[in-house]
Amino acid sequence: MRKKRLFSQIAVASAIALVLASCSSSDKKASETTLPKVEMMKSLGAGEGQVNIVAWAGYVENGSNDPKVDWVTGFEKETGCKVNVKVGSTSDEMVALMKTGEYDVVSASGDASLRLIYGGDVAPVNTALVPNYADIFADLKNQQWNSVDGVAYGIPHGRGANLLAYRTDIVNPAPTSWGAVFDANSPYKGRITAYDSPIYIADAALYLMKTQPDLGIKYPYALDQKQFDAAVALLKVQKPLIGEYWGDYLKHVASLKSGGTVLGTTWQVNINLAQSEGVKVEGIKPVEGSTGWSDTWMISSKAKNPNCAYKWMNSIVSPESNAAVAEWFGEAPSNAKACDLTSDKNFCTTYHAAEATYWNDVYYWNTATEACLDGRKDVKCVPYSEWVKAWSSLRNA
Amino acid sequence: MKSSVARWMYKRPKFRLVALLAAPTLWLVVAYLGALGALLVTAFFTIDSFTGDVVAQFNLGNFQDMLTDPAYRNVVLRTLGIALSVTLICATFAIPMAFFMAKIAKPRNQKILVALVLTPLWASYLVKIYAWRSMLEPRTGVIDWVLGPIGIRSPGFGGPAIVIGLSYLWLPYMILPIYAGLERLPNSLLDASGDLGAGNFYTFRRVILPLIFPSLVAGSMFTFSLSLGDYITAQIIGGKLQMLGNVVYQNFSINLPFAATIATIPVAIMAIYLWLVRRTGALASL
Amino acid sequence: MSQTLRKTLEFISVVEPASVIVSIRNLSRTFGSVKAVDGVNLDIYSGEFLTLLGPSGSGKTTVLRMIAGFEKPDSGTIELGGRDVSQLPPYERDVNTVFQDYALFPHMDVISNIGYGLRVAGVAKEERIARTEKALEQVRLTGYGDRKPAELSGGQRQRVALARALVNRPSVLLLDEPLGALDLKLREQMQIELKELQREVGITFIFVTHDQEEALTMSDRIAVFNLGNIEQLGTPREVYENPQSPFVSEFVGQTNKITMDGRQINIRPEFITVSKSAERGDRIVKGKLHDAIFVGATTRYLVDTELGESIISTDPSGLLDVGDDVVLSWESEKEFLVK
Repeated sequence: MRKKRLFSQIAVASAIALVLASCSSSDKKASETTLPKVEMMKSLGAGEGQVNIVAWAGYVENGSNDPKVDWVTGFEKETGCKVNVKVGSTSDEMVALMKTGEYDVVSASGDASLRLIYGGDVAPVNTALVPNYADIFADLKNQQWNSVDGVAYGIPHGRGANLLAYRTDIVNPAPTSWGAVFDANSPYKGRITAYDSPIYIADAALYLMKTQPDLGIKYPYALDQKQFDAAVALLKVQKPLIGEYWGDYLKHVASLKSGGTVLGTTWQVNINLAQSEGVKVEGIKPVEGSTGWSDTWMISSKAKNPNCAYKWMNSIVSPESNAAVAEWFGEAPSNAKACDLTSDKNFCTTYHAAEATYWNDVYYWNTATEACLDGRKDVKCVPYSEWVKAWSSLRNA
Repeated sequence: MKSSVARWMYKRPKFRLVALLAAPTLWLVVAYLGALGALLVTAFFTIDSFTGDVVAQFNLGNFQDMLTDPAYRNVVLRTLGIALSVTLICATFAIPMAFFMAKIAKPRNQKILVALVLTPLWASYLVKIYAWRSMLEPRTGVIDWVLGPIGIRSPGFGGPAIVIGLSYLWLPYMILPIYAGLERLPNSLLDASGDLGAGNFYTFRRVILPLIFPSLVAGSMFTFSLSLGDYITAQIIGGKLQMLGNVVYQNFSINLPFAATIATIPVAIMAIYLWLVRRTGALASL
Repeated sequence: MSQTLRKTLEFISVVEPASVIVSIRNLSRTFGSVKAVDGVNLDIYSGEFLTLLGPSGSGKTTVLRMIAGFEKPDSGTIELGGRDVSQLPPYERDVNTVFQDYALFPHMDVISNIGYGLRVAGVAKEERIARTEKALEQVRLTGYGDRKPAELSGGQRQRVALARALVNRPSVLLLDEPLGALDLKLREQMQIELKELQREVGITFIFVTHDQEEALTMSDRIAVFNLGNIEQLGTPREVYENPQSPFVSEFVGQTNKITMDGRQINIRPEFITVSKSAERGDRIVKGKLHDAIFVGATTRYLVDTELGESIISTDPSGLLDVGDDVVLSWESEKEFLVK
């Protein structure tokens, strides 16, 4: 008995100590949205010998997936910076990884970039130290998701649209609208997939924006409560159609290959991977337009290898690498000179790299905030944290 | 030198005890209780709604969200249902297998059978679950391919698939304690029961089952708790179905405090489970 | 039928009309390459106390287990009350067993242990309780009903095991070395109790032991087993005084084998008197006292004789010291021949 009491006392004491420790260590106040002051790199020095990267699948290729697809080996030889890569499946995961402080660089999408900036997790980028920055398309620079008050927080990497994938040998007729994945009477019930992240709510919002004008949705990332509820309700209708939600792109490709999944949202790179394995699959941008991404290379405010990180950011947007990444991943390059270096000379045309009108109906991932991003002042919009809760609730119901 | 240290230690039993228990106590307090305490504390924190940073401000919002949203009640019930089904299925398969191993097989074969039961534990968890994925894959999977012609269809990915996968994974953890329990059970007790007129089923119910009950409980603690906390199996062969572990996994990168809140549920369930087990007295004879 | 068997029959028939309750014919059982039981024939009479005596591995326990039904014979038959039961499972045989390790159910109290068989048989509760109580009384354990086996001493467990078997009123009770785990004192006490109990209940007891003293004390008849077969079957007196084979003569009691006048003589040590001068008997052998081993109630005297052999005697006359010249003497009619 005495021993038991001793143990419980120790347990209580250690719990209290932990409370005190964790309280004192983080004195931050809730909902602090002021911009944290983070110093910008002034000049470059020698490389540290390595760089730790968080990136989307297909952004950092060293030839291990396909011997012809390699822009890492050259970089490593040239700079002496060994590349360590951690693939993130969702923006949320990337944000969490960057918060650990273990990584130097991240390829952040628009729904992660602002969170990182305001969380003080990334530093402003001294574009003068990135020579290739000069060649980047002007309409990608200093945008809402990669800069604050004219200060660049990253180097634009490329952009693309989330596509509607379908197995050409199974889905007939070929779909043209996102309606195919929201049709309660779909013949492909149980074989439809959706992206497993709260950001997918925007896909439903986009479809409603085009099909239910009464709701008054102007921008899929600026949803007031009514609009948000409508989008979530649509996802609830969709849920019985879903076989699997995908987060892991390899499992997603395997499912497209096996025919477990025949229809649903995807990235071009997944279609490329599946096609390279002989799967009859196509991806289209449906008539409603689509959500998409415009990615930015950002540097951690706690970077342990800042010099290698800068070298990497410069290298990955060089015309050669940018062309190679764009072609492999299936996105429009950000470097204007990259278009001359693609193996497929029509690549930039196909991906509408310089064609501003194509991007008009592509809504890059963005982080929803209480202040509506579409400029409305009369209502409060549903912030991303609520998207997270709604998604978690939907997935677990 | 050595002997003088030993002599010094021999005269100080308290010092010996402290030296013996220092490392495990440290481990228990810091790594085990510490982690559990941190989990519990974090559950009462919140996050910055924009940046997702953890804010150390005491509030009950997470518990409120968890208790008011029916989705989480569903996922708790679903997870409990899966864990119980897995435990029942494992017990149903493990008892006859263990009985055969301990009481019917020749001693030489017993060792081989134990080794065979242990073999799957050498293979990676992921490999085994991916193997089940290709088994259960609708239309193109092995089950549909082989058994489809005789009218047996794969249940596809979902709850039944999770139960099958987890039962397969944890079966050895159920067989081994029952096997050990049956080995300890003297054959003469079975003879005696038959001698006193009891048929096999009666003997099983009145003699074997009560005597291996502690082993069953030991096994069930493995199968139940391992199932309760699992999320990878659900991720790979669960289709769109989620278990408690998936909720934690889904939330820990976006909303760590909420993930911690959810994580307290399996802790609570296991505490209740152990309390129930304790009341049956099975722990005393383990 | 051998002469011994006929004699036994006469002996038994004095007590009560002999009727065969267990009839074993050509019973054999092999384990791997070992012939544990090799063509045993045995008739056991209703109400008798029969002991299967033999060293370990002689097949006695296997025979018992085949009667109980725990082992199936490779060939041969076992009839119980005229019915061939050799292929029936244990629960369909009207016999009960007392196990060497008692095999009490550790999770049940004494009452439940004893009532187990009755419960299986569907005996009504009141009758079950009454019979269980009576059985407890019979083995002098009244008041111990709610104890668990772990809370009992070895002797008490032994009695519970007895009661558990007897309460079912089997036609035959099988006892597999039930006293082996008890200490000497308790064992001797239990031997007497068992024998009394058997007379009281009148049930046939088939008792397995490797302890010849136990067998001689308790049995109506003894079947001496060796190498899977019965070497001799007879009353304790017959087996002791007139062993039919060298094995029996050595296994049951001690025997001096002496070569005298060109032939072998067998004589038990207790029939030989050792003294300073010839005391009694027509046989006389001189020798020197080599050793005297005190074993409690008796002393064993080892004498080096003029025949060049050592002879053991347990019947001293007068005080003797090691090294003394002594004379061994016995009645020649106490000698026995071994075929």
